Amino acid sequence: MSTEAIAAEKPKRNYNALFGLTLLALLVLLWVILSVATQSFASGNNISNLLRQGSMIAILAVGQTFVIITGGIDLSVGAVVGFATVIAAMLINAGVPVFLAILITLLVGVAIGLFHGFGIVKMGLPPFIITLATLTSLRGIGLLMTNGNSISINNDAFQEFSRSSFVGVPNLFWMVILVGIPAYIFLHHSRWGRYLFSVGSNAEASRLSGVNVQRTIYMAYTLSGLCAAFVGVLLASRIGIGNPTQAEGWELQAIASSVIGGTSLFGAVGSVHGPLLGAFILATINNGANLLNVNAFWQRIITGVLIIVIVYFDGLRRRGK
Amino acid sequence: MTSTAQELHPAPTLEPGRTILELKGLEKRYPGTHALKPVNLAFKSGEIHAIVGENGAGKSTLIKLLTGVMPRTSGDVIWEGKPEALATPHEAMALGINAVHQEVVLCRHLTVAANMFLGEENSRYGILQQRAMVKDAQKIIDDLGFDLPAHVVLGDLTIGQQQLIAAARATVRGTKFLIFDEPTAYLTRKEADQLFKLIRRLKGEGVTIIYISHRMEEVFELADRVSVLRDGTLVGTRNIAETNDAELVKMMINRSIEQVYHKEHFTPGAMIVEAKNLSGKGFENVSLSVRAGEIVGLYGLIGAGRSEFVTTLYGRHRKSAGQILWEGKPVQVNSEHDAIRLGMALAPESRRDQGLCLNLPVGLNLNLPIYKRISSNMLISGAKEKAEADRQIAGLRIKTPTRSALASSLSGGNQQKIVIGKWLAHGAKLFIFDEPTVGVDVGTKAEIYRLFGALLSKGAGIILISSYLPEVYELADTLHVFRRGKLVATHGFRTANHEDILTQALAEKQEKLGGQK
Repeated sequence: MSTEAIAAEKPKRNYNALFGLTLLALLVLLWVILSVATQSFASGNNISNLLRQGSMIAILAVGQTFVIITGGIDLSVGAVVGFATVIAAMLINAGVPVFLAILITLLVGVAIGLFHGFGIVKMGLPPFIITLATLTSLRGIGLLMTNGNSISINNDAFQEFSRSSFVGVPNLFWMVILVGIPAYIFLHHSRWGRYLFSVGSNAEASRLSGVNVQRTIYMAYTLSGLCAAFVGVLLASRIGIGNPTQAEGWELQAIASSVIGGTSLFGAVGSVHGPLLGAFILATINNGANLLNVNAFWQRIITGVLIIVIVYFDGLRRRGK
Repeated sequence: MTSTAQELHPAPTLEPGRTILELKGLEKRYPGTHALKPVNLAFKSGEIHAIVGENGAGKSTLIKLLTGVMPRTSGDVIWEGKPEALATPHEAMALGINAVHQEVVLCRHLTVAANMFLGEENSRYGILQQRAMVKDAQKIIDDLGFDLPAHVVLGDLTIGQQQLIAAARATVRGTKFLIFDEPTAYLTRKEADQLFKLIRRLKGEGVTIIYISHRMEEVFELADRVSVLRDGTLVGTRNIAETNDAELVKMMINRSIEQVYHKEHFTPGAMIVEAKNLSGKGFENVSLSVRAGEIVGLYGLIGAGRSEFVTTLYGRHRKSAGQILWEGKPVQVNSEHDAIRLGMALAPESRRDQGLCLNLPVGLNLNLPIYKRISSNMLISGAKEKAEADRQIAGLRIKTPTRSALASSLSGGNQQKIVIGKWLAHGAKLFIFDEPTVGVDVGTKAEIYRLFGALLSKGAGIILISSYLPEVYELADTLHVFRRGKLVATHGFRTANHEDILTQALAEKQEKLGGQK
């Protein structure tokens, strides 16, 4: 009997780590190829640029992953980013201290997330629908507030932040670390993280085991909204304007990063490092394609093919054990 | 196989009448369970053949094999003299084998007519001939004497009416062999009469009918022959004229008390929970109590209201009337949270749907109710998490390579141990086990029963729900019988006989007598 137990399939414990290493290897491979193929890729300037490009999607992808793990989806994050740039710009231009302006913007993101939770838990709306609805309405509200114009932010210190570096690493990338480490601890080492997985796997079993399913769902969408608002602040700093039509399609890039990073759209499978790597793989492809003078339209096609290939092989391995 | 089974297993007597389907040593094994032991049986054209047996006796396995839903492990199926593989549902349908299931498996959002012709639509140049199909469907329905419109959306009909449509649908497909799986479970008497008329008419046309039912009076009303399954064994086949209620019931129940039932008696201690005239969705006016050291068994058919009663007690559903007393004090149980805080634990009926997070690790499943306790502030203590999981895995002898293996990779019995095991560390006082041994092999059953004894010895009380009579009979100190949402009888440990309990759970006769007072 005991031999039977031992002979059974190998533990899956290392699967996540292994998958993460595979992604990391892919990223490194891309970097090596691009360094050889182009002269400018390996330059400090370009690397900094790449890290800046990838950082914002990476943070969005982390929030998105929390939601996807519960079996949901958050289509609103791109719109929240655009909306948050408007809020931040208006507050700063109105003379609100930058610190307070950022805090209020983040709270707006939290409120949007809570609203999503309310729609799903209390009104029984599918996540796809409620977040699709906020996607389009937030863009509309932002356009109303700005009359369709961009708001230039007149605070140089605020804009300086996203352009500067700290010990040679762009500040924007430090923000990924700032978000990533607590997110990792939250998802993998707190009971709330466990509940995200259990709700995504089987909400009824979780409920019967005493897990507060509603609160778990509220939490996932709130964190996603918070991440999106934070990215909005970073974007406002980077481009120096508030504009509600910014970050068009970022929700899809965030979902793509998450999925490339091994998150299952059926829920209950995902990590924090996966989506981060996924976001930087996408950023590298875009960056490399630019340097290689590949038609920008091809970048979108490559991204699509990459999603299919990675998810297909991941699915094969999961099924085949 | 026991000698009783041999005695009760005469060769099926073949009357004149063509044999349409013959089973030779048909057998099905799952990993860990022998769901159907070799069955030899011949069905004749134009007969109504009833199959009876307790839940888990192998009836649904037999249907799944005959309709090609699952492949058999060994044995032959001879259809009209030729051996057939029956590997896919399509193959079975092509031969003329169809089934009408207990749950309607049709498209609720399509019209009755669209459902009737689903997969064989009438189309001309690729365009659906909707009007013609509605007309044809209406004609079929009228011919059968069902008073139902063909143009309405199926979901607008009652479940019973949908069931009739499902039956009508099966008749238009060149069906020669039709299986009814508890078709009357959701029907009114009038709808059932219409269905019986249809069945007799099909019989007249030479169609072979397999009729599976728990309701004895229907078996005697309809069937020509009846076969009894028990624990995956075909116990015997009888001509309906040569048998009676009592004989069939005797054949259905295994009389030998197996060694698996390990009963420890404890002196009942303090009252843990009391339900007073509790009513809710699916049950009404149920009063019962559980003391420390006591197993309270709830017996009845599926849908008799037992699961609804315990899930309401557990706060999953709202009670409509009555009172719950916990350790003598009236309490409000508005959510599972309340129930768990009081000290209740529920191992629900369906492992897949309610019990487990299948695609998550064994350890996470085991620890789910106690994460609050093994974490300080918000952070989980990794060491405690591992220790708790390993302790349960070792204590319950859960066969898993590690605590990180996914729950889905374990066998049914070991999955069930997780469902139970997750409450052991929680320290509950009242354990509710809803069908804890469904799909579980005998060895694991014995382990689960021994676990009951261990829980009782620590002063816990147990509510045990089972559709398998020997289980509650041999284990329960108090046995309540449920029928149609009501608690109809109460017995002490082994104070009643099997036949009486089964009659109380099944029979309409009893109900009529009771109705006269």
